[in-house]
Amino acid sequence: MKEKDASVDYKEHQLILYVEKKDGTYGPVKTGSYITKNFIDDFWYKRKKLEHEYLEKVRKGEISPIAYYMVLGELTPSELAARVRLGARKVKKHLTARYFGTITLDQLKRYCDVFNVSPVDMLQVIVTDKKNLKVIEEKMDNPFFTILKISTGKK
Amino acid sequence: MTFQHKMAAHCESGTVAALLNHAGLSISEPLVFGISAGIFFGYFESKKFPFPTFVVRNRPGQIRTGVARRTGVRFKERRFRNPEKGERVLDDLLSGGKPVACQTDFFYMKYLPDHVRVHINVHFITVVEKRGDVYVVSDCYSPNLAELDRESLMKARFAGGSFSPRGFIFHPVSIPRRIDYRTAIWKGIASAAFNMVRLPIPFIGVKGIRLFAKKVVDWPSLARDIDHLSHEIMKINIFLEDQGTGGAGFRFMYATFLREASELLNDPDLLEMSKRIMEIGDRWREISLFAARIGKRRDLGPDRLGELSAMIYERADAEERFFNDLLKLSKSKK
Repeated sequence: MKEKDASVDYKEHQLILYVEKKDGTYGPVKTGSYITKNFIDDFWYKRKKLEHEYLEKVRKGEISPIAYYMVLGELTPSELAARVRLGARKVKKHLTARYFGTITLDQLKRYCDVFNVSPVDMLQVIVTDKKNLKVIEEKMDNPFFTILKISTGKK
Repeated sequence: MTFQHKMAAHCESGTVAALLNHAGLSISEPLVFGISAGIFFGYFESKKFPFPTFVVRNRPGQIRTGVARRTGVRFKERRFRNPEKGERVLDDLLSGGKPVACQTDFFYMKYLPDHVRVHINVHFITVVEKRGDVYVVSDCYSPNLAELDRESLMKARFAGGSFSPRGFIFHPVSIPRRIDYRTAIWKGIASAAFNMVRLPIPFIGVKGIRLFAKKVVDWPSLARDIDHLSHEIMKINIFLEDQGTGGAGFRFMYATFLREASELLNDPDLLEMSKRIMEIGDRWREISLFAARIGKRRDLGPDRLGELSAMIYERADAEERFFNDLLKLSKSKK
């Protein structure tokens, strides 16, 4: 690839590509990500659609919040089971709304660590029509307790 | 000596090169990649992956072990059952002024853009310093030194699942006075070429590329809907270009390695091979751009996927010729 073909002006996502330089030598150049620059809108469109679709399934009681986060995180039940150190059969049960209620707090915490969410996020979703709301979950030393700070201002 | 942060194409080869540079050995990322036989292809369908996937580099960790074996560099490596002990050992090394490479889950690298962060346990970073509860991190994918809080680094180092890091750390402890680059380079080349054309495994090497070409037309039956299919098809571009490959699924980096090797060994045959793999890479890049475009347009009917498949088959043929010639060349140079 010629150096001029690699050049993408996109500061938000930079990467290194190896190219043929103007003097004929090969070497690295720092450039922007072509796919992020040109297709990130499409990525977020699909992501929001997926979130909405699976949130509806949680709301209707078809799946548990664990299944919701698992799909968004592009994990499989088998991989998730290895990450939370539980049996795959147990994890498959936890993906259903029916068995979600049987989870212990310790197990819930393990799932939360994998998805990087707080235990509260497993039980509720904050929805608002206000655009300038700032929502911060402040973590405590107690892993099962968070303070939710809601204020107006820039996100 | 202050650690020099530098972006690199790939996390493992970049981390190994940066640590060796810091230890006083001047070696480039492509040379590390080539000597360790980094170039590869594998097509995988497994319970561990939510969708079929492919890889374009050797097994995680083999870049470090390959370089060590072929150059004589020695690394001190440790894994931990106990996270507290893993944290203590890392902190002790850092307080002694030693930069340390850590294997981590990429998902917890908060300083990188949200859309690139996925759960994958084979991301390598160099931890340079600890300031209070924050670690200073040199990540090849970050333009500058980054900061990572203690909790995130611990979660990343001790994540479970496939390729679980178990707190794995390494740093170089000895560099040989003289490295026999001729032997190291040719062994790396022979090993890479063997993996690509001689391994009798149907999903590895050139056979893997053909399997990918064959299977990609069946992907619609595995997808939830058209948007999911579009996402997976567009990931072909990400795997080849954006996910730390240096472009064209490491083919451009390998071309740079062969070129550097030809200069180091004064071997014109390697220069010729570097030009060939650069051209092969250009066609791979056409595939990745094509995949991104048809994915965006949701133009994913059988004709279009057939076209994509034909392009991949063509790459398999080109790589079969290339790596067979490279293997012959490596045997003739012994």
